[in-house]
Amino acid sequence: MSTRWYPKYITGNPQLRVFLPNFFMKLVKPEVPQLPNVVQFKVSMQMTKHDVKNYLEKIYSVKVESVVTHVRMGKFSRNAVGGYVIKDDDFKLAYVTLPKDEKFEFPNLFPEEKEKELDKQKEQLNTLKDEWKMITTKNKHRQGVPSWLGI
Amino acid sequence: MSALLKGLSSVLATNLIKFESLFISNRTLQFSVKSVSAPKNYFRLGQPAFSFHSSVSRRGLEEFFDDKKNWGELEVKVGRSWRVDELRIKSNEDLHKLWYVLLKEKNMLLTMEHASQEECRLFPNPERIDKVEESMNNLERVVRERNRAYFLLETGETGERPCSRVTDPLGRSYTMQYTEHFVPIYMNRRASKKHVHRGAAVVRFRRQMKEKAFLEKKRYYNRVRNHVCQLLRRFPELDEEAIQQQYPEVNLTRLRRMKYSRGHHLYNEG
Repeated sequence: MSTRWYPKYITGNPQLRVFLPNFFMKLVKPEVPQLPNVVQFKVSMQMTKHDVKNYLEKIYSVKVESVVTHVRMGKFSRNAVGGYVIKDDDFKLAYVTLPKDEKFEFPNLFPEEKEKELDKQKEQLNTLKDEWKMITTKNKHRQGVPSWLGI
Repeated sequence: MSALLKGLSSVLATNLIKFESLFISNRTLQFSVKSVSAPKNYFRLGQPAFSFHSSVSRRGLEEFFDDKKNWGELEVKVGRSWRVDELRIKSNEDLHKLWYVLLKEKNMLLTMEHASQEECRLFPNPERIDKVEESMNNLERVVRERNRAYFLLETGETGERPCSRVTDPLGRSYTMQYTEHFVPIYMNRRASKKHVHRGAAVVRFRRQMKEKAFLEKKRYYNRVRNHVCQLLRRFPELDEEAIQQQYPEVNLTRLRRMKYSRGHHLYNEG
């Protein structure tokens, strides 16, 4: 049997088991502020509430109190060049409620210290670029002449 | 988990320099470098491997995010994906565990990618997702191979989903995969009603479809023939066998005689 083809379930039979699930779950930052124990996920379209609960409990060992799922429509936009309408894919959101005493806060994935370092690097690069420009434009009309020959 | 990691170290032991031989994430890689002094026996593991622990077990929702030191980085270096040959020597249990390791890694990468998209930034090393997916495909392929072998041994059939080549009402042929049903087809009155389309519109459609296919084939042949003629014209002393091998559909002796393939040079004089 193919790994992605499951036999039809008939009541009374043993439950079907998924050995190699290929569902994905993305933890996303909620646009609207949520309660401290609510986590928002983008999940595979085929996943049900039970799937989400089992996925988190069995694979990630996270206790789940309840799950709410919504299917959201993808955004419409116009192409800048052709002007035709583009529609993003629809997606499923899952709002997972953790037990009362647990809290989850979405971490800051782009810390400020790193940002400052990057800015410094950019400045250095710009100064180098300017210097290079100076050097190359200085001897523009006397190419191949050694530097010590000039005034 | 420990069994899987043992397997990993055995892979490492085969090639001491191959640090990037396992792909999970860079934090596992760091530890794998330590295990370079693993025993020479490739398949049986000695004492050091039992005390081998690669990553800190992080539990819960933290696993959806990358290692803290990679946050805000421009480049994250990782190894390559798992190859089929490496997966073939693993046991079923190990493969089952590895699948979940890869699945978690993929979820983590997707989460980080989404987060950087939200912030209008570049996601560092997006090929990591491709590597995980390739590993997962390879793993599934190995599982499928084993399934096939088992079914062939036990039942004499491949155990794959049965399918057949059928034609749809508009005369186009396609591969239909069979699905299970609660009742056989002769008991299902709706399904057993045959939908045969023999209207004038369908006949016309089929004819035009055939015509289109014929014209496409003809144009393709003409294109190849003209190309070969031009070749003969420009390079008269051409290796004919090589041309025939590359374009088996043309008749070279016939094309030689065509006016189109004769150039204005000394070769054709007299």
